[in-house]
This record gives sequence, structure tokens and C-alpha cells, in this order.
Amino acid sequence: MTPAFRRQRALADYTLAALARRRGKNIGLVAIYALVVFVVASALLFSSALRHEADTVLAETPELIVQNLVMGRHDMIEGNAIAALAGIRGVTRAKGRLWGYFYDSVNGANYTLMVPLDPERALAPGEAMIGEGVPRARGMFWDTAPLFLSRQPGDLVRFDVVERLSSESALVSTDLILLNEADFRDFFRLPDGVYTDIAVTVRNPREIETIMSKAGRLLPEARFITRDDISRTYQKLFSWREGIMVALAAAALLAFAIFAAEKASGLSAEEAREIGILKAVGWNMTDVIAMKLWEGALISVGAFLIGTLTGYLHVFAFKAGLFAPILKGWSVIYPDFALTPRFDGVQIAALFLITVLPYTAATLVPVWRVAAADPDQVMR
Amino acid sequence: MISLHAVTKLYNEGRPGEVRAVDNVSLEIERDAVTVFKGPSGSGKTTLLSIIGCMARPSAGRVLIDGRLVSGLPERFLTEERRSTFGFVFQRFNLIRGLSLLENVTLPAAPLGEDPREVEARALARLEALGLAGKAAMPVEYLSGGETQRAAIARALINDAPILIADEPTANLDTELTHRFLDIVGALRDEGRTVIMTSHDPRIWQADHVNAVISMQDGRIVGEYA
Ligand SMILES: Nc1ncnc2c1ncn2[C@@H]1O[C@H](COP(=O)(O)OP(=O)(O)OP(=O)(O)O)[C@@H](O)[C@H]1O
Ligand SMILES: [Mg+2]
Repeated sequence: MTPAFRRQRALADYTLAALARRRGKNIGLVAIYALVVFVVASALLFSSALRHEADTVLAETPELIVQNLVMGRHDMIEGNAIAALAGIRGVTRAKGRLWGYFYDSVNGANYTLMVPLDPERALAPGEAMIGEGVPRARGMFWDTAPLFLSRQPGDLVRFDVVERLSSESALVSTDLILLNEADFRDFFRLPDGVYTDIAVTVRNPREIETIMSKAGRLLPEARFITRDDISRTYQKLFSWREGIMVALAAAALLAFAIFAAEKASGLSAEEAREIGILKAVGWNMTDVIAMKLWEGALISVGAFLIGTLTGYLHVFAFKAGLFAPILKGWSVIYPDFALTPRFDGVQIAALFLITVLPYTAATLVPVWRVAAADPDQVMR
Repeated sequence: MISLHAVTKLYNEGRPGEVRAVDNVSLEIERDAVTVFKGPSGSGKTTLLSIIGCMARPSAGRVLIDGRLVSGLPERFLTEERRSTFGFVFQRFNLIRGLSLLENVTLPAAPLGEDPREVEARALARLEALGLAGKAAMPVEYLSGGETQRAAIARALINDAPILIADEPTANLDTELTHRFLDIVGALRDEGRTVIMTSHDPRIWQADHVNAVISMQDGRIVGEYA
């Protein structure tokens, strides 16, 4: 061990002994501090997870979706519309999508059944890929367990689960069941040649208005939904909630600033006297400041870790339960909604910077002032 | 040699309640010797020791330690001086409450980067010599007056500083313990160290180990005898 290391070790030991003396006070301090970090971390993690959900949804959304309307309601669309749309200039691809909702009355769960558009994900008859939420809802615990779906009592359809979808986004894939096209049609008793809707990809997104007006002439009954429309819906859904989170985080940070300012305003007579004694027995200013840095670091890093960890658990394991009143309405849209855990290094670093650094700096200001004075003056 | 030239210390300078605690003191203190200050309460003994020990700055005058001018140096140089040159026994002990006796005694060594086991062994030996070995783990606020006094002495000795400054080190000690302290002082002097103390106690002034007694009154030196 080098002397420099032994010196730090001795200073840290002193700090621990000093903190242990005022155990109650210091535990209280860490608790308040951790609470602030918890609120900020929860708000931050929650809003960024929301934004990530929205981004993921949008990334998988085609530029244009064409739906057939019958009496103003969404109905199946005929396959020959696909060729008509594909013929419009500027359209790179038009594909019929098959998807629908299924309510599993046995487990009381909702699933989204879908035929994958991506040829790489094409499934053989009798196979299925399922989202993470599906086995959870059904209590299928081992990987190879087959999936049984029942449309009515006595009728069971069996699928072999070939893959579980790792969910990048809870919204997109938790309740998803991907099937082969023939199985899908059979399950919902759909005739060949009809689709739920048509996904259109365009070469240049700025041409979307022109393409829509041409398509409107070809398919006067249809409804057109652009990615922007969907994006706006999500904005409505997310933005004010995110705003509240930001406000909450700001309020918590303000409380924290007041707390740090109080710390910066001065030391108690006892603390000042202690620094005087340390200096009198030969500690220099660097020693005193290093020791106080240890103190600040132990308190703030401890509180940071506790606050961040509990915030993370709160948002991702407990579905941000404490924010429930603010988020009311959310659960109507997504009955069992759990955000996908995400660990964002930059965000955690930012949280560290706005909580640990100001506190540590704030504690050092008065220490420095006292440590720079003659010991005789502060000791009396 | 520690030399003071026309040293004056004013408290509350220029304000109501100004106190001239040390008044134009010139003085030379021998190294490798034991020097004792005596004098009535309020005569400026503690203030003078603070100035000699680089804990306070004179309002006027100069202080030299072995020819080095220390008065007027910025605080960070004074810390270095205190660390390398002095061990202190304060009149009010100035132990840190809540820490154990051993933690208090090893305090001056903490920033030096020494092997903690060596420091601890040294501290325990000092405590042993002062009859405190059994109390090493006790928080200092539970020690008796005499034990606290000895704790302060042990702390002052831990870094083997060349100059020991002790302000009323035996005020709380009985005859037996006072003699034990004087034995330590004699041993330090024999090792070539300097001891500067204040005392009201005639047993100290008359002790064999003491080389010089200086008496003070109203911040001035009024007598000096070897
Ligand atoms: N920080 C201070 N502010 C104002 N006055 C002070 C301060 N410290 C000491 N004094 C005054 O300076 C004078 C000398 O004090 P000092 O402590 O040096 O006396 P002393 O000789 O050590 O006395 P005692 O024998 O009682 O310890 C006293 O009148 C005291 O009130
Ligand atoms: Mg005194």
C-alpha cells in the first residue's frame, strides 16, 4: 500500500467513524436525499420509456395504412385493392395485413393475432411465435409448451410455439401471437382474398398527399391513415403525461436545490470546531476537504444508488404504481401495461450529475471557508 | 531556538471590547529544554502558546522558529509547520466527541499515510504509559477529567513532534499522575525535544526537569528564571 492510498483509507475511516456518530441524522439525510433521487429517477425513466414505446411503435408502422369502411366502420378489405395501390406511382410496396384481437375467456386476457408481413418471419402451419406477455397470462412456464386457443367451449386449436418474441417494446409485442396465414384465416373463419387492412410503403414520404388523393379516387370507400396521424395520436397519449413527469422531476430538483443551498450556507458550531481541532493537530486544508469529500460522496452516492434502484424497480417492476393517479386512463387503453425495462447509461449519468455533484460541491463551500481560517479562531 | 520579537495580540481589534492579550513580548525559548509559563488567569499564557504553535497570528511583531520566520505566513504554510513541528495539549483538551479514545489519539497521524497498525501500536504504547490501556475503545466523552487530560497528552505525543506545547497539562491530575507526566517530559527532553508548558502548579515550576520558568501578567513578561 502506498502512503497516498493509506492516507485516503485513513481519511475514509475517519469519515465513517464521524458519520456513525450522528447515525440518526445521517440516515435521515440519506433517506430524504434518496427520496428526491427516487422521484427524479422515476419520472425520468418513465418518460423516456414512454417515448421509447412510441418510437418503437412508429418505427414499425408503414407510411400509409388503407382500411375499408362499411357504414363508417372498419371492415375487411378486398385483395384486388392491393394491386390497384401498388400501381400508383411512388408506391414501392403494398401488402395486405391480417390481424385481429382475440379475447381468451378462460384466462381473461386479450391477444393480438397477426400474420407476419416479413417473409423472414413466415411460419409453417401449426406454428406460432408469441410475445412475452402471453405465457405470463396463461401460466406457460417452459419454453416448448404448446399454445392452445379456444374460440368456444369444446373447440381447441393447438399451436407449437417456435419462438418467444423478445420485446423491445411492451406496446408492440407483449400480447402478440404470430400465426401462419392459413391458420389465421381458419381460426377467424375468414375467406381467402380479404385482408384486415393494407400497408403501403412509399418511395418519398413527401409524396404521401399526392398518393393519398390518387388512391382516394381508386378506392372511394377507403379510409387512409398516415404515420403522422398515428404519431399525433401517440403524442396526445404521451406528451402531457411526459410533461407532468418533467414538472415532477423539476419540483423534486428544486427541493433538492433548497436542501443543497441550506448545506452550503454554513456549518454548525460543532462541525466548525471539529475542523478547527483537526487543523490544530496537523491536518491541512487538503486533508479536511478530502475527508469532507468522502463524507459527501458516501452520503450522495449512497442516496443516489438507493434512489435510482428503487426508482427503476418502481417504474419497471411496479408499473410506476405511485404515479397511478396521474396516469389514470392509461390502463383503459392497455389493460395490463408494463413498460419494457431499459437501462440508459447517458440518462443515469445525467441523473448522477444533477444530484451527486451539486450536493458534494455544496458541502464543500462552507468547509473550505472554515478550513482556510486560523484554527484558534474556529476552535473557541 | 524560538524567538519572539515585540509580539502583540489584540482580540476584537478596533472594536468595543478590544483585548490586548499579549503585549509587546520579546523572548527566546531554548530548544532541547523545558520552559514553563506561569501567571494569573487571563495573563495571556494560552494566547502566547497559540502564537508560538502557529495556531494564531500575532497582530504585530515577529516569530521565528529555528530562524524561520513564521509570523505572517499564509495559513497553508502554518498547517505544514504545525504538522511537522508541534504536538499540542490544549487547555480545553479539544478531543472529538463520539470518537473513541484510540481514534482521537491517532487523529494527527491520519493524513500522514503511515501504516495504520504501526500508528495504532504506537498509540497503545502511549496509552499504556499513561495508564489508559484499558479504555482505548471508549468514546472520549465518557472519560473522567484526569483521563481526558491524559488522552490529550497521548494525542500530542503520537507523531513524535520535536516540540510539545502543553497548556495546563496537569490541571486535572493527582500527584502520582503529575509525576508520571513529568517523567515523560524528562524523557522527551533527554531525547532532544523541546517542551513548552503553562502551569499554575508549583510542583511543575520546581520540578528537576524544568529549565526555565517565565511569569506573565497582563500580557507582559514580568519575570524569568532558570
Ligand atoms: N478569542 C478571544 N476573543 C476575545 N478575547 C479573548 C480571546 N481569547 C482570549 N481572550 C482574552 O485574552 C486574555 C488572555 O487570555 P488567555 O486565554 O491567553 O489567558 P490565560 O493566561 O491562558 O488564562 P488562564 O490561566 O485562565 O488559562 C483574556 O482576557 C481573555 O479574555
Ligand atoms: Mg489559558
